[in-house]
Amino acid sequence: MAYKPQYGPGSSKVAENRRKYMDPSHKLEKLRDATDEDVVLLMGHRAPGAAYPTAHPPLAEQQEPDCPIRKMVTPTDGAKAGDRVRYIQFADSMFFAPSQPYERTYLECYRFRGIDPGTLSGRQIVECRERDLEKYAKELINTELFDPARVGIRGATVHGHSLRLAEDGMMFDMLQRCILDKKAGVVKYVKNQIGEPLDKEVKVGKPMDDKWLKAHTTIFHSLGGVPYRDDAEYIEWVQRIHSLRTKYGFMPKE
Amino acid sequence: MTDAIYPQVRIVPERFLNPETVEKLLNRIATTEGVRRILLKGQNLPPTVPYGPARGKPNPHPMKRTIQVCGQDVELQVHVGFIILELENRDPIPALREACDSVFTEFSYGLQEGRFMKSEATLSDYAKYGTEAEKDMIGMTDPRSKSGPIILQGVK
Repeated sequence: MAYKPQYGPGSSKVAENRRKYMDPSHKLEKLRDATDEDVVLLMGHRAPGAAYPTAHPPLAEQQEPDCPIRKMVTPTDGAKAGDRVRYIQFADSMFFAPSQPYERTYLECYRFRGIDPGTLSGRQIVECRERDLEKYAKELINTELFDPARVGIRGATVHGHSLRLAEDGMMFDMLQRCILDKKAGVVKYVKNQIGEPLDKEVKVGKPMDDKWLKAHTTIFHSLGGVPYRDDAEYIEWVQRIHSLRTKYGFMPKE
Repeated sequence: MTDAIYPQVRIVPERFLNPETVEKLLNRIATTEGVRRILLKGQNLPPTVPYGPARGKPNPHPMKRTIQVCGQDVELQVHVGFIILELENRDPIPALREACDSVFTEFSYGLQEGRFMKSEATLSDYAKYGTEAEKDMIGMTDPRSKSGPIILQGVK
């Protein structure tokens, strides 16, 4: 029988969203139109339109050792061209952001190739070859995984995910990389992810309303959201795994 | 540090406050009889980027502004999240609640009574600031800071 991944337990809406985002057969809903140039500006690794700097010659031009693994794995476009490895990092507010660090890592591993994600409590970084990164970053920003107010693109000084929101509903950012334009109701980035001012503002769309956020969040929250303890199936599985791995620590003989 | 004989309250709004809201609220609080000290607490907003590749570059922030309280300029250095007050006695509390009710119309807040200011220097304070540090400032702000407290002529 072919292996069919189940992605995760749980009978709540939050668990369902988690599974949905992880499942590569689910097409992520596209909500905004950040262009390639916008993504390049936000990340700040190279100037828009500039050639991709390389870390090594293209694979076609260099002698590859005789390696069965290299024969098996098709290189990504970035690896083929010898691009540098670059990153994008996100901070997700605990107030019903659509994604959260663990979820991001899982879904990226299921959906993308040639990546190296790093998961922390309040931020998640993903590294890969530059041209692959731009493609992935565009998908992470343009789809339902992103909310302009509750998700921040932050390379450094990420603090804010567990804090109260500002009066206008934006997540705290010490460097205030993005600002809510009250007239247009649109969030615009005025600094790139490391806090350098941008020559051109990058608009990332309107913040989603509370109803949408609560329907799309992957975060359990006992204040106003779905409390973790209400999802009996989730608890049962987490307890089962906890119990099994604890017992395994004692090397039980069966 | 503070003398522990005075009652203290802490105002905890549901959201971090904009400078305009802080200005409005402080003007109400400062003109309330019986308020000894006001401490604004929140997330630091440094004038330059503190770390990362852009370290040292200027950090303009819309929440870092100078506000006017009782005719005095107050430069905000934090995105205000808590307002801690030291009172002469418990009498002004209903007036403070009224002030908060009139300012926080869009979101809720909590007004807690308790001990929120340090009454004794800790070992870490001695390690950080030494024995010569100004006692009034310990637990409120960095005692080495050159800018002292702002004295408001509220009801006097």
